Amino acid sequence: MLEEAARDSTEPQARLESASGAGSKSTAVLRLSGAWRLAHLPRIEAQLSPLTLPSDVVIDGSGLTEIDSAGALALLMQLVRNGVDPEAARLAGFAGNEARIVEQVRGRIAQCQMPTVHRPQRMLERVGRTTIYLLRELVGHINYFGAAVVGLARSLVNPHAIRVRELTTQFEHVCLNAIPVIALVTLLIGIVVAYLLGLQAEKYGANIFVVDGVGIGATREFAPIIVAVIVAGRSGAAFTAQLGAMRLTEETDAILTLGLSPIDVLVLPRVIALMIAMPLLVFIGDVMSLLGAMLIAQPMLDITPTTFVERLRDSLEIKHVYVGLIKAPVFALVIAVIGCRNGMEVERDTRAVGMATTSTVVQSIVSVILLDAGFAVLFQELGI
Amino acid sequence: MPNLDRTVIEVDDVVTRFEDQTVHEGVSFTVDRGTLVALIGGSGTGKSVLLREIIGLQRPTAGRVRLLGTDVWNCTEAEMDAVRRRFGMMFQDGALFSSLTVWQNVAVPLIEHAKVPQELLNPLIKLRLAQAGLGPDAAEKMPSELSGGMRKRAAIARALALEPEVLFLDEPTSGLDPTTARGFDRLVRSLVDDLGITVFLVTHDLDTLLTVVDRIIVLARGTVIADGTARDVTAVDDDWIRSYFSVRTMVNAA
Repeated sequence: MLEEAARDSTEPQARLESASGAGSKSTAVLRLSGAWRLAHLPRIEAQLSPLTLPSDVVIDGSGLTEIDSAGALALLMQLVRNGVDPEAARLAGFAGNEARIVEQVRGRIAQCQMPTVHRPQRMLERVGRTTIYLLRELVGHINYFGAAVVGLARSLVNPHAIRVRELTTQFEHVCLNAIPVIALVTLLIGIVVAYLLGLQAEKYGANIFVVDGVGIGATREFAPIIVAVIVAGRSGAAFTAQLGAMRLTEETDAILTLGLSPIDVLVLPRVIALMIAMPLLVFIGDVMSLLGAMLIAQPMLDITPTTFVERLRDSLEIKHVYVGLIKAPVFALVIAVIGCRNGMEVERDTRAVGMATTSTVVQSIVSVILLDAGFAVLFQELGI
Repeated sequence: MPNLDRTVIEVDDVVTRFEDQTVHEGVSFTVDRGTLVALIGGSGTGKSVLLREIIGLQRPTAGRVRLLGTDVWNCTEAEMDAVRRRFGMMFQDGALFSSLTVWQNVAVPLIEHAKVPQELLNPLIKLRLAQAGLGPDAAEKMPSELSGGMRKRAAIARALALEPEVLFLDEPTSGLDPTTARGFDRLVRSLVDDLGITVFLVTHDLDTLLTVVDRIIVLARGTVIADGTARDVTAVDDDWIRSYFSVRTMVNAA
């Protein structure tokens, strides 16, 4: 023991000795030596844990090179574990600053012993909480949807109230800036669909029917859905992030305090801009996916562009294009309302904005697919 | 064995330029162990920039910074990591991790950098919270549920986690009410007196400067224009210093 201590003076040591006191009774002395620092805590614990300290122990710190509050805490917690009241333990031989550190920790030892409960969530609790959350979310969306529709109706009655500048700025963001990515993606989708249909059609010598398939498929379903998904990820997420950040910096509160309505100033221009933009983007999507199909039709299926266009004119009824375009503003309304609501109602902390943005994308895409299914059934029943 | 030199911070002829704008034109000072030193200066004099240069977040254009004996801008990443475990930093708004509870925030440095025995982890975190003046009920809270003052205290608790030798505070009392701010001053003073920590802070709070700080360094016109106790600094004949401290003389006179 002594040899070890001599070898390294900073090695934290704790030795329990019994010294004969002035009277007949002998007292226990805990001699500390070395550096009792946070970095040495495992070694300090290894020294302390085998010891059983009696209640009348005297702690002798004269051999310490240094002690910090973590070292002092380890010492006092060992007293607590042995059932000794740390307040009653006698200290001896500590240097002035070391004694202060130990006293400071001793004054807070009661607080240090309070357990921290990391309560695990039980499965049933989670299911319940999530259900309530989802129901509240749905009711909130429906409420907000109502408010947005009322606002839209109001601005139709009184078009002067529409904020043209904000509307045009938003239109630029959600429509003009979105054209390149939408054109590219729908072009590629047109190529892929035509290619896959072509592989099958070739076997039956029915090459020309690829034009029918791509024409109806792209204009009625693919283009609106693909555009809606891109818009949800691009503009819906942007709405939430912008409005959420404005809420964090209290800008929305400032708008309210200035006697303006955040719905009129922030939400309606976004909703209207997206509702105008979406049919235009879907139309671009229609054209580009048909163009994609036409591009691959010649090398793969020997359908010349002229034949392609002629066949398209004969086979593609214009109602399919209308169906796709009618769906677009509805998708836009839903995406814009979800995006704006998640942004406007975000909690006031930075993490919440990120989570709300993710929710917007997920909720928008799910809503769009559900709505599209609803439209399919509706148009089926109507015989369109 | 930690390096127990007397000088813990040594800023030597630091020059900082942003494009055509010169912020520091040769700033030099040293900070001794166990003292509470404040850095003051008008807006745009680069106080926070200097702080970031000292702790290795932003490289100065020229000059040398030694922190705890290590040349911050001329050392290996491993040496810098070793220094990082020996100082703590409290950012202005706390910079608490918003996805973690206060308890978990304080636990991060302890779990990452110190092999704290499992049964001592919770007591140690509670001790840090107590040292920062937070009650045990704050441990379970998320940063978003805390008031401004509590957020700063939680940030101090995290900065104290590894028992640093030096603690840097960026505007510790900004945005706090005067009562809370004075409590904060007492807290910072006790860190220096009871735990022997060296504290280096950037502040605008005259009460902090005139009551608890050992030494004031005044930054103006790209250099240190005054350095000493509050009494020394207020005696310096300089327009900026006079107008800075005149607010206080006016209040006292009234």
